[in-house]
Amino acid sequence: MKENKKIIEVLIAICSLFFILVGYLTYIQVFKSKEIVQNTYNRRQYQADENTTRGQIIDRKGIVLAFSEERDNTQQRIYPYSSLYSHVIGYNSKVYGRSLLEESYNNYLLGLDEYTKVFGLFKSSNQDKKLGNNLSLTIDHELQKLGHELLGNRNGAVVAMNPKTGEILALVSKPDFDTNEEVLAKGWKAMVESQEAPFLARATQGLYTPGSTFKVVTAAAIIENGLDEERFNDKGVITIDGKEISNSGRKAYGEIDLKKALAVSSNVIFAQLGVTLGQEKLEDIFRRVGFGTDITFDIPVSKSLFQYEKMEPNDMAAVAIGQGKILVSPLHLAMITSGIANNGVIMKPYLVSNITSPTGKEIKSFKREEFKQIMEPDIAAKLKNMMQEVVDSGTGKKAAIKGIKVAGKTGTAENELTAQKKDKAHAWFIGFAPVENPQIAVVVVLEYSGSSGGTIAAPIAQKIMDNYLKDK
Amino acid sequence: MFGILTYRKPINYIILLNLLAYLFIFYNLKSYKFETFAVGLGIILLVCTTYLIIIKNRLGDEYLFLIVSMLLSLGVIMIYRLDNDAGIKQTVWSFIGLVMFVTTCQIFRLIKIWDRIAIYYVGLSVFLYLITLLLGRNINGATNWIVIGGQSFQPLEISKIIYILFLACYFKKPNQLFFEGMGFSETKKEKLNKLVLVLFTFLNVFFLMLQKEWGSILLISSIYIIVLYVYGKNTLFFICNIVMTIPIVLFGYFFVYHIKVRIDTWINPWADIAGKGYQITQSLFAISSGGYFGTGLGLGRPDMVPAVNTDFIFSAICEEMGILTGVAVILLYMLLTYRGLKIVLRVKKRFNKVLGLGITTMLGLQTFIIIGGVIKLIPLTGITLPYISYGGSSLVSSFIILGILQAISREDYADVGGEIDEGE
Repeated sequence: MKENKKIIEVLIAICSLFFILVGYLTYIQVFKSKEIVQNTYNRRQYQADENTTRGQIIDRKGIVLAFSEERDNTQQRIYPYSSLYSHVIGYNSKVYGRSLLEESYNNYLLGLDEYTKVFGLFKSSNQDKKLGNNLSLTIDHELQKLGHELLGNRNGAVVAMNPKTGEILALVSKPDFDTNEEVLAKGWKAMVESQEAPFLARATQGLYTPGSTFKVVTAAAIIENGLDEERFNDKGVITIDGKEISNSGRKAYGEIDLKKALAVSSNVIFAQLGVTLGQEKLEDIFRRVGFGTDITFDIPVSKSLFQYEKMEPNDMAAVAIGQGKILVSPLHLAMITSGIANNGVIMKPYLVSNITSPTGKEIKSFKREEFKQIMEPDIAAKLKNMMQEVVDSGTGKKAAIKGIKVAGKTGTAENELTAQKKDKAHAWFIGFAPVENPQIAVVVVLEYSGSSGGTIAAPIAQKIMDNYLKDK
Repeated sequence: MFGILTYRKPINYIILLNLLAYLFIFYNLKSYKFETFAVGLGIILLVCTTYLIIIKNRLGDEYLFLIVSMLLSLGVIMIYRLDNDAGIKQTVWSFIGLVMFVTTCQIFRLIKIWDRIAIYYVGLSVFLYLITLLLGRNINGATNWIVIGGQSFQPLEISKIIYILFLACYFKKPNQLFFEGMGFSETKKEKLNKLVLVLFTFLNVFFLMLQKEWGSILLISSIYIIVLYVYGKNTLFFICNIVMTIPIVLFGYFFVYHIKVRIDTWINPWADIAGKGYQITQSLFAISSGGYFGTGLGLGRPDMVPAVNTDFIFSAICEEMGILTGVAVILLYMLLTYRGLKIVLRVKKRFNKVLGLGITTMLGLQTFIIIGGVIKLIPLTGITLPYISYGGSSLVSSFIILGILQAISREDYADVGGEIDEGE
């Protein structure tokens, strides 16, 4: 029957239409849905926000750093210290989304744990507002404020951590910005276009050449290889593979040992020893201190870079004095410093100490945890001793605190700008105190400061350590 | 006794779906109203009773009703979740619809004059369109509702059925529809009748245009084209009809602002999310938010989608029950179309055959037009999703259609000796 044949054709046509529907629906789901859901006009994104009073964020002593409040019928996130925590807590904005802790702990702050997600107790018609959970940070507000003030309007970062526990005590990045919604909206466009990159969290995501501070890492390898007993002749300048390396001010120190070489930050001797160690041993110590390892932290951290395949002798020399193609984040350097202070063991850094429900019940707490062992305790002990010498008699004198033994190392790092013009080096200081029982490890970096680490970074670290230890 | 609890009986799945869904609603919506269970049990009772009637009275194909009752259940669940009062009303409408379904099925079988009253179809159709034009109220932006005694309904739902009945009358004997015994020659008669067919189609399109029911126009024209394709003897006439639609569509795009807006927002709804693209973008937000498994009943925000009870109910299903349920719904409609056309293939009587073809393609295409619209596959036209969307006239007329199809299927089985379970 001709008609029946045509009816079957109609059936096939209609079925194809249905299959096209299924195909297109799948296509939306697989390729488009993520983008569609994130559209700012999709009010679902803010649904949970609307129904929940977002939890508070407090420092280690209970000072409120962020809270939410009902204003004109909408919930507003308020940051009482405006820009102080822009690179720690971040922002929570209806327009610009969320960042840092506000983003990584969003579900906790909104009180959405896995249980409520699955059995879905965030519902449409709300009788009363839910309260989110509160975060307690390891941050010491006074110390954070001090770091912020000391940096002033210079760009850079200050990281302070407890070397024995991994608690982050202060995490300052400059430039920063006011995270309160209204101010954020006003300045957003200018900030996005700004060359200063105010959105870059220098302390965690900024990558810098570490400069002479990295001599402590090289020194660890030198001690491990038994070269610390020898004496070396420093003529102020050395030529390696046709490339000249000189001390600061081309100063010649003559016959000195490793301790003295570190104290005066002799480029000549460390470069020379770098070549002696060779690629394998240098790479080994770098890998051990955490190059190429992802640092899991409460907020995103840039991975430190060691960009060599095959090293030439002048590469080894450069790397040994913290120059060349190596980049570290201030947080990572603070971890390495803590590792030395903590007898060779780096503790995992953390920002959030515990999460409590609105009724005060502890939901989750974070305990100290080992990150990795970077060197044997005896090596660390020798390094500590050498680093103390840096502060006692070397380049780091300005970090000295009366009555307390301080260990440290200065750095003045060449970078892409110093190649063209002088006076653009990064000023570094790393240190910890008290040497015999380290309570605090500090890293200070002032980018493109044009001054030496010993002159401008060391005093900042000194004040922070002094303040913290006095406070205890 | 426990024989009814077997997994082999599809009806048990429908009961299970309802039980689970209303339990979820009861828990998730947190209003803890026991009417929730009343609605659920009501639907289960209605579906089971009707199913028993079909089985006991040997009313033909049982799967048609099983597929539809699954769709109906999903619809009532979703509507009740979105709006409790609307859900209760929809349950009442389901009752009326099912009564109409069984009644239509019997009436259609017992009264055998349906193929001889073409002139009345024309008359009734014109009458319905005229009273809509004169007494029509504007509800939800469309002036095609008639309010009688506080109840509102859309006559065009009936007009669509009448149009298919008319098509069936015409194709039963294409040259003997009208003008019999008036002294015209055979060829003249055939031409005049063909003219009546075209004019009646245009009459429908014209009145629907006045009501701005673009979806229904698309539907009626598609049915016309399909039936003409299957039963029209004259290829030239068929091609003429196809060609004729092109200038009409172009005219619509360039001169009817309403259509132009629909097409423009279809091409890029993101250009004006807050304005013209509002409906479709909200629908896409809902569909995308659901993921594969959905947010769970009562846990999404489909209430943010406008007209979510009616035109956009599919988006709500996708959001809360997931794309997979969305696909399942589409496949159910595909099965329904398949089942319908399978019946049509076996029917002997020409009138029933055309009628079945028209009805089934109408159900299939209506589904495609509205689902395609809400997922932005084709321009959005507001028509209802059969058996799922909220609305009395849509539900009742869909059940009348199903009743006719059921009656046709019974005759089909009567031909082969009343065998119900054919075991294919």
